[in-house]
Amino acid sequence: MIPNTVKRYFQKEFNGWVIVSILGAVVILLPILFILSSLLHEPNENWYQIRNYLLSNYVANTIKLVVFSGVFSAILGVSLAWIIAAYDFPLKRFFRWGLVLPLAIPPYIAAYTYRTMLGYTGFVQTTLKNEFNIHIDPELISVSSLRGAIFIFTIFLFPYVFIITRAFLENQSTSYIENARLLGQKPFAVFTKIVLPLSRPAIVGGTVLVIYEVLSDYGVTSYFGVHTITTAIFQTWFGMYDVNTAMRLASWLMVIVVGLFFLERLLRQRRRYNVNNKSRPLTPIKLRGLPSILAFVYCGLIFSLGFLIPIIQLIFWAKLTFFNVWDNSFFLLIYQTLYVALIPTVIIIIFSVIVANICRSQSTFSYILSKWVTAGYSIPGAIIAIGVLAMFISLDKWLAPFYSMVGLGDAPLILSLSLIMLIVGYAIRFMATGYNAIEVGFEKIGTKYAEASRLLGYGITKTFLKVDLPLIKGAILSGAILTFVEICKELPLVLLLRPFNFETLATKAFQFAKDEQIYEASIPSLFIISISVVSIIVFQFVGKKVK
Amino acid sequence: MNIIEVKKLNFSFSRKDNLLIKDLTFSIKKGEIVGVLGQSGSGKSTLLRLISGLEVPSSGEIIIAGNTVVNENVFVQPENRGVGMVFQDYALFPNMTVKDNILFGLSKMNKKDRVLRLNEMLELVKMEEFAKRYPHELSGGQQQRVALARALAPKPNLLLMDEPFSNLDTDLRSSIREELKLILNKANITCIIVTHDRHDVDAICTHSIQMGKVLMEIK
Ligand SMILES: Nc1ncnc2c1ncn2[C@@H]1O[C@H](COP(=O)(O)OP(=O)(O)O)[C@@H](O)[C@H]1O
Ligand SMILES: [Mg+2]
Repeated sequence: MIPNTVKRYFQKEFNGWVIVSILGAVVILLPILFILSSLLHEPNENWYQIRNYLLSNYVANTIKLVVFSGVFSAILGVSLAWIIAAYDFPLKRFFRWGLVLPLAIPPYIAAYTYRTMLGYTGFVQTTLKNEFNIHIDPELISVSSLRGAIFIFTIFLFPYVFIITRAFLENQSTSYIENARLLGQKPFAVFTKIVLPLSRPAIVGGTVLVIYEVLSDYGVTSYFGVHTITTAIFQTWFGMYDVNTAMRLASWLMVIVVGLFFLERLLRQRRRYNVNNKSRPLTPIKLRGLPSILAFVYCGLIFSLGFLIPIIQLIFWAKLTFFNVWDNSFFLLIYQTLYVALIPTVIIIIFSVIVANICRSQSTFSYILSKWVTAGYSIPGAIIAIGVLAMFISLDKWLAPFYSMVGLGDAPLILSLSLIMLIVGYAIRFMATGYNAIEVGFEKIGTKYAEASRLLGYGITKTFLKVDLPLIKGAILSGAILTFVEICKELPLVLLLRPFNFETLATKAFQFAKDEQIYEASIPSLFIISISVVSIIVFQFVGKKVK
Repeated sequence: MNIIEVKKLNFSFSRKDNLLIKDLTFSIKKGEIVGVLGQSGSGKSTLLRLISGLEVPSSGEIIIAGNTVVNENVFVQPENRGVGMVFQDYALFPNMTVKDNILFGLSKMNKKDRVLRLNEMLELVKMEEFAKRYPHELSGGQQQRVALARALAPKPNLLLMDEPFSNLDTDLRSSIREELKLILNKANITCIIVTHDRHDVDAICTHSIQMGKVLMEIK
């Protein structure tokens, strides 16, 4: 009886959509398997060197960055979220939206902007010297090393905490907070006794996003000379072309990521309050006098640091070098960036639609599948890149007989020197961005239209094309835009996987900055930032879900 | 001739749960209109989903118009069962007009027959003037009639209706009941109507099936 039931289950559930989903899921898993398989190989000399002399330092730096950036982002994000959600003061409506904008500036761009601005020849110190004749120890205000990296991560990543916590406070906490107020609690007590414990899942969720970004980072840390596991992965690959050691480092980083995953579960545990979705929005209290000014100054300060100042500085530099950079090679750069982001975006959207469509039936299988294909987002870009690299090198070895048969020479590297590798890397890393948007679209329309269509004689594919697709167009579009922008901004993965001499706006901006051509770096940077601002607008006004 | 035969049907949503539907057996002859009665949560909607192929039973057999559509070995996809359904909330495609909603299930006919059938259906449910409207521009009762027309258009062997009166004002109930009875008789269709109101059954149905006996036995 059981084999028969299984057979019948296949008759119901098995179709082309499922096959494509499973194949895609395997491709997504392979790089991770490659990384883990490195633990089975005998490690080489390089690895012992790194492990004995350097690894503890790398791990310590990584953890320091994660802890401090996480804690500071959480403090900033939660305090701003509370002020915006609970109070009314001048320009509050602007800040509600504006405080999300620091996310549009990739941290590596912010890093070189701030370091140059605050450096000895930068705007701040020269002004102090020339206008006020104040000489100060340059080290005091120069943003560099660990301190600088933490500052940059905090100021430019806190919006993750801000967005999630604010949304939670504005929409789901009203009755608790109003009750506390009615019971005569002072505002500070309301904050510590009600708001903080209540919004813990939101705070943890936002902070974890910050931490994932910090773990993924290569641009900021390498620019500030902070050695982390990620920068070490780059050094072993570009310095020694030692994939195996790079993979071992990547598996160490994986250990941290997995640890973090369980820590998140633990911190959220039992904290899922039954918040009801239909609750009223929180009515803000109008601030007057000093508190109103303080709230305004606080929001204004963070907005200036996180968006206004770096943007003005970048525009100023861009004006200085506009005609040096703005030429045909720059158009080529834009063109390359756009198409190398567009191809994986299309792949991601098509695959996401297929998987999300079969995952609408709530079975264990579909739950695992959807978690699986979106896992790439919580895995740092460098890990995915090294896994993809190892996978393609093996693939080239495996295809070597075929290459020599068609006259390409003995054991050449074809695939691992091609753009295909980069595109696969992007697709794995950013699958979650597209998938989540599309999943929301499917959730909104539910299954009833699809079921009605099935009963009117259409199979699963025709039903999708005729009924679902027209209804989730908007979700597909916003998913595509968000994915596209994430890819344009991405740095570590493209640095590791791009073909020799292939440049995008991100790699070029980073390269200019590394070569101390700060002014030249500003134009590609402003381009990336403009693209990101578009995504934030889409995000705020069309799609409602964070990542 | 039996249009549908259900034999020893068992169903639960997960292996841990008690059986929601236990050893259900019944059959319906051509042209009969059968009411399915039972409290909320007794598995009435689930029974309709099992018949239409949107859920798979744990065991048991369903035969529709002489063809086994599900048993231990067989599973026929919902689109191939020849069953029409009027959903509880109608599920009219919001991006299509009344006309396109009704035409949706007629893709296998040629163009001329399609138009004929469309007009026939619009006339049957008295919605001729509303063909160009979108579902959100119709009242609840009108939406229901469109859903009925859409389900009847492909000439199914069996029509399933899930709580057809639950979304309508109570003062409209008796007049709509009469109207439905008229339409169903005109269409000469075999029909299963789910309801929790015995008056619906008395007014429309030839006989009825009681669900949720299992629950009472446990009590
Ligand atoms: N997808 C599902 N998964 C688990 N339980 C379900 C699901 N759908 C319905 N149920 C449960 O099955 C029982 C019967 O549901 P239903 O058939 O809709 O009852 P009725 O239509 O008679 O009110 C209910 O207790 C309901 O909570
Ligand atoms: Mg029901």
